[in-house]
Amino acid sequence: MASVLLPVSLLLAALLLIPELFGDFTAYQIGLYLIYGIAAQGIGFLWGKTGVLPLGQALFFGFAAYVTAITLRAETGLITELALAVAVLVAIAVFACALAALIFRGRNDSGPYFSLITLALVMIAEQIAGTATTLTGGFNGLSGFDSLGKLDPFAGFYYVIVGVTVAVSLLLFVLNRLPVNLIARAVADNEPRLQLLGFPTHIIKGAAFAFSAVIAALAGGLFASHQGIVTPTSMGFGLSAELVILTAVGGRYHVLGPLIGAVLVGWASAELRDSFPYWELLMAVAFILVVLKAPGGIAELLEAGYRRVRATKPGAPSKVIAAPPTKAVDAAGPLRFDDVHLQIGVVRILNGVSFQTPATGIVSIIGPNGAGKTSTLNTITGNLRITGGRITFGRRKIDSRPPYKALHSGIGRKLQVPSVFFSMSVSENLAIAMMANRSRLLDLLRPSTYRWRSRSLSDLLDHPSVPLKEELVEPVDHLPQGHRQFLEYAMTIAAEPQVLLLDEPCAGLSPDETALMTDLVRHYQAETGGLVIVIEHDMSIVEAISDKVLVMHLGQVLAFDTFEQVRRNPEVQAVYAGGTK
Amino acid sequence: MSSVLFLNLAWQISTLALVALGLAIVFGKLRIMNMAHGEFVMIGAYAPVITSSLGLSGWWQLPVCLLSVGLVAFVLERAIIRHLYGRMFDSLLATWGIAILLRETVELIFGRGYQSVSPPIGGTLRLFGADYPAYRIAVIVGIVLGFAALYWWSTRSRVAVRIKAMVGNPELAEAVGIDTARLSAGAFVFGCCTAGLAGLVLAPTIRIEPMMGLDYLIRSFFALVVGGLGSLEGLGIGAGIIAGTQSVLGAVANQTYGYLAVLTLSILFLWVKPDGIRSSSR
Repeated sequence: MASVLLPVSLLLAALLLIPELFGDFTAYQIGLYLIYGIAAQGIGFLWGKTGVLPLGQALFFGFAAYVTAITLRAETGLITELALAVAVLVAIAVFACALAALIFRGRNDSGPYFSLITLALVMIAEQIAGTATTLTGGFNGLSGFDSLGKLDPFAGFYYVIVGVTVAVSLLLFVLNRLPVNLIARAVADNEPRLQLLGFPTHIIKGAAFAFSAVIAALAGGLFASHQGIVTPTSMGFGLSAELVILTAVGGRYHVLGPLIGAVLVGWASAELRDSFPYWELLMAVAFILVVLKAPGGIAELLEAGYRRVRATKPGAPSKVIAAPPTKAVDAAGPLRFDDVHLQIGVVRILNGVSFQTPATGIVSIIGPNGAGKTSTLNTITGNLRITGGRITFGRRKIDSRPPYKALHSGIGRKLQVPSVFFSMSVSENLAIAMMANRSRLLDLLRPSTYRWRSRSLSDLLDHPSVPLKEELVEPVDHLPQGHRQFLEYAMTIAAEPQVLLLDEPCAGLSPDETALMTDLVRHYQAETGGLVIVIEHDMSIVEAISDKVLVMHLGQVLAFDTFEQVRRNPEVQAVYAGGTK
Repeated sequence: MSSVLFLNLAWQISTLALVALGLAIVFGKLRIMNMAHGEFVMIGAYAPVITSSLGLSGWWQLPVCLLSVGLVAFVLERAIIRHLYGRMFDSLLATWGIAILLRETVELIFGRGYQSVSPPIGGTLRLFGADYPAYRIAVIVGIVLGFAALYWWSTRSRVAVRIKAMVGNPELAEAVGIDTARLSAGAFVFGCCTAGLAGLVLAPTIRIEPMMGLDYLIRSFFALVVGGLGSLEGLGIGAGIIAGTQSVLGAVANQTYGYLAVLTLSILFLWVKPDGIRSSSR
């Protein structure tokens, strides 16, 4: 806990000293910068972790500021005011979450779309605030009200701001140590992988956006009380842009970065804006430089300096605890394709694929490049939507559902090129995989969830030939290709799916590693009694592991039989000898 | 009366299509989310301000516009944008910074206040029983002819295929003999120049000021979301729906409702039809 309490108490001490050392007026000014800094901390959380950039955060800031101003003018009393504040924050959270979830539902790459929609929202909000004169006072704004609890903005109210600043920072520091932090970072790192582990990433982004919106609204409420006036600019494009710049320059990956950015930029701006005409230009150039050259901003430079003085030693790996059982899926039985068609644009990829696997066993899919093998797996997980036919697992229809539901219907997938969370360590990757299909919402808020380890994963890691155990603290991008294959395999089986889809699991492996991988696959199938579907090019592996072999060619099933029967099939021979094409 | 409404609609749709064309090229083809797109419209709109303050004749407006916009676009492409191909999100951030830089620079030179210029063609024309400004009719006809020529050219030219190859796989594109540096710079500068041209033709009909670009960026973006990336037909459909909705609602209710309607429409499209109406990869 020291890593949380130390920076927070230092922050508290520094902020409490300001009025003593520099007087009340400086404290008043710093109070305003801190308010912007709080809103920027929310942006930093969303942008730094999930990679989603909101360009219209003043929407929430300004909305809360207006509501605060209207309530304070009505002088309804502190209890009503605080109750209303809670109601407004809840409404903002629901709106923000729904908006982001809607926009992010259909795609993994809508970062730019989301940013532009938030920008459009704040522009319309500023316009409405300027024209709805009866409610907002138009361009002159709302003024003539006391601050919250009738505190003096030049004296007592500063301590309210300090309290909120410290509370928000503490909350963010604590969140950093909880499993939700890992999930949020995983969204930015490798969204398709996280979906295949069963996490609805659009909801995660929605929740993160809602959280940042609530923080912005908190800051907006303080702003109205502190400044005693709210105008359309408090809800405008300009403020939104400035908050993003403060976040970027201060450092979006660190809790205190946006605060540092807000205070430094705010102070420099107050000193220079009037005497130095190129100040705004300078800020734009600083922003571009940070984006291109130093994405970590000031906070990262400070932290690098601190690390040089006091290097952190990697902590000893904590003791593991038994993971809870996976969520029960009442799905079993054969996987069945009925006349499945898949067409993307004018390219026809699958042309009437029909087969039915046995309920258990190992099925290999073989076929020349472009036969539609990987696309077949993509239709099973929902990464590709079929354009005709039907896919069923047991009695349940499983086509045309989003990929994040694949695991819940009992289907786990390992991709062709190892797809793991590259910015994280091996143990962090495994921790996320352990949460897949096991964690409930509250588990993501308990540090103990980090230490979950299932028996089958322990067995895999304890296997003398599996390389992962010595590399738990290594970042994944230092691992060789073969080790990444084992890591992704371990992550896929950690959720114990009934159907395991493996796309060329032995690609890039040495002969020894290949033998190990085939052993592991056979062992998993025997242990769970489930179904394994493997795409493989190496015929010796296919012969060794397959109960049945599915041969695909030009988007259709050419043969589906035992290895011996398939080998004797003259059509298969013709395709593999290059006879027909 | 209704024919004026119809002509206004034609004006709104054709100018939005011209404004959005550059974004369609830079975002749709080069995959650079150009947040400074509206600022190029803004710089183009300042061209008549420059010529009149220098005392040049009206004929200089077009060369001044293309030269200033083209030069700014070229310098930015060489200095910043060329490092950002294939990094869409970083391109958004960097061009966001560029947009602020351009706005502040223009504000330092020309001041924050509104400027206005008079159209090069005065008077009105009688069309469908209504008097309508001749300048606007000339612009509508010019844009329609321009798009027809562009469509004709794009069905013949292989530049679009080369750009697609370059964005899909730069190394392979270079290996088969495509000069990617020249091609991408050319496409970026061309896209920005069409934005500048749009600013120039709009200039006599609007208030020219440093912040004017944002609105054009947003509406171009909406047109692309609704119409879909990658085809001229999609661009036309998107511009038609966005400008149509906005001007009809703006006429019967007010501007705020028009704006709210297109915003809602765009969010609905991102949700239900994320690739827009015409999502061709051509």
